Amino acid sequence: MKLACVVHRFGADIAGGSEGHCRLIAEHLAASHDVTIVTTTAHDHVTWANHYSAGESRIGSVAVVRFPVERQRDLLRFREISDRVFSDRASASEEEQWFRENGPFAPALLDYLKQHAREFDLVLFWSYRYYGAYFGLPIAADRAVLLPTAEEDPLIHVDALTRYFALPRGYLFLTPEEEALVADRTPRNTPRQVIGCGLDPAQPADRSKLTALGIADPYILYLGRIDPNKGCDRLLRYFLRYSENRANPANPANPLNLVLAGPENMPIPEHPLIRRLGFVDGATRDALLANARVLVMPSPYESLSMVLLEAWNHGTAALVNARCAVLKGQVLRADGGLYYQSAMEFAGALDYLLDNREAAAQLGAQGRAYVDREYRWPTVMAKIETLFAEITRQYRSARNPA
Amino acid sequence: MSASEPLRVGPLMKQIESDVRSQIRRRLVKHGMPAYEDEQIFERVRALLQHAADGRDLDVLLLPELLDDDVEWELDPNLTLSSHRPATGGAILFAKRKILLPLTRWLFEYSQSNFRRQQRLNQILLACIEELAVENARLRKDVDALQK
Repeated sequence: MKLACVVHRFGADIAGGSEGHCRLIAEHLAASHDVTIVTTTAHDHVTWANHYSAGESRIGSVAVVRFPVERQRDLLRFREISDRVFSDRASASEEEQWFRENGPFAPALLDYLKQHAREFDLVLFWSYRYYGAYFGLPIAADRAVLLPTAEEDPLIHVDALTRYFALPRGYLFLTPEEEALVADRTPRNTPRQVIGCGLDPAQPADRSKLTALGIADPYILYLGRIDPNKGCDRLLRYFLRYSENRANPANPANPLNLVLAGPENMPIPEHPLIRRLGFVDGATRDALLANARVLVMPSPYESLSMVLLEAWNHGTAALVNARCAVLKGQVLRADGGLYYQSAMEFAGALDYLLDNREAAAQLGAQGRAYVDREYRWPTVMAKIETLFAEITRQYRSARNPA
Repeated sequence: MSASEPLRVGPLMKQIESDVRSQIRRRLVKHGMPAYEDEQIFERVRALLQHAADGRDLDVLLLPELLDDDVEWELDPNLTLSSHRPATGGAILFAKRKILLPLTRWLFEYSQSNFRRQQRLNQILLACIEELAVENARLRKDVDALQK
């Protein structure tokens, strides 16, 4: 099949969740399909400033066509319109304007879809919240597959989405919770699959990477963008409160550290128990995940936590924010960790995981078994192919009714 | 626990949550809330407040519907720049946006963040009042039925 994948940013060095998901899926699809990535020249997820060259290129096994961003995001205007839209006070045109302000505003990408969408058998769109997917999908609706990457945030309830979610020919969801958010606005017979994302079995991690960084046991790990929107402000408060109340009397010289690995989008307090590593390479990432006592995921909004799956891939237990239904659902389905809603539950759950190392190891092993069952590439790709076959079957039977 | 026996997160979390609630109750009793010596009372109060804070849509409340003008009581954290002068309005707005706002942005963002927190707290308090009013109405109905 000839497939287009429409995504707001694309590049090997882009850490974003849906962008990374698109890249992995596209690379695996390219093993048996002709895949073109349709994207923008943006790299920065806040401003959408132009970074890559516009035009056609090739990255690995996929063709890439990039379109320039005509207007950077005006954060003040975006925040103002977000407040109106999220508090249910916006008109239909203001709701539509929200998607323009969110960007990345690349009208040439829409022109490309108008001219070329028919050349593709299917056009896959990632993340309904971005300009290209929101305005591009209606252009190619007769061959569109949407991966909404929807989260339980205020945007998901806006009226404009009722019409939008009825358009795609098929859906690929990341979790059952995400499907539940969207499903009541989709026609009942629209083909759909819950795929998550594929992972290869973890390789043994190189512990010397940690020694080089001066990181020693025990530590808990946060991996990803360090941002208030990811719940990191609350994580820092909870951790500092936890460490004030629970000095390690058995070994005061070896207290629990919080290791933060990822780009920083917020001020982080200077504290001897908080280690900031910034962006880390793949081998360091694996070593951190494999040797952490616990991976902490404080995000209130997620459509799928790849980091959580990676931690389980290494047999590491997780501690997640229960206010995020997706994270709590993943942990409960996997029996792979614990969750919290408050600082005291954070402390209680963390105490349990630190004090019961055998139980923590078992939770991590159960997480790995869950990844083996659900998230290996052959399983994920088989689900995607099933969806493609179902859409094709529906298309043919619509064109040639019996 | 044997290696083959799965460790279920659901029951484990129930135990941890119960332990945390128990710690909170004991702390409150110790610091002057004797009503919570009765575990059932504590649990009912906790469940009611928890539902007000977490378990409901804070945009769906009766009290705001009864207030005359919803804009008057609701905090508006946004700064909407405008000018009533038809001729010079454009230039004034330009100066406000491009000169004044960047100069005062730190103060604006600090205030906006606090307004947002206050707005959320107001909504939760309204929800708490409504939960208590509903509970009171239910109890009154039961008492009336018993008196008859």
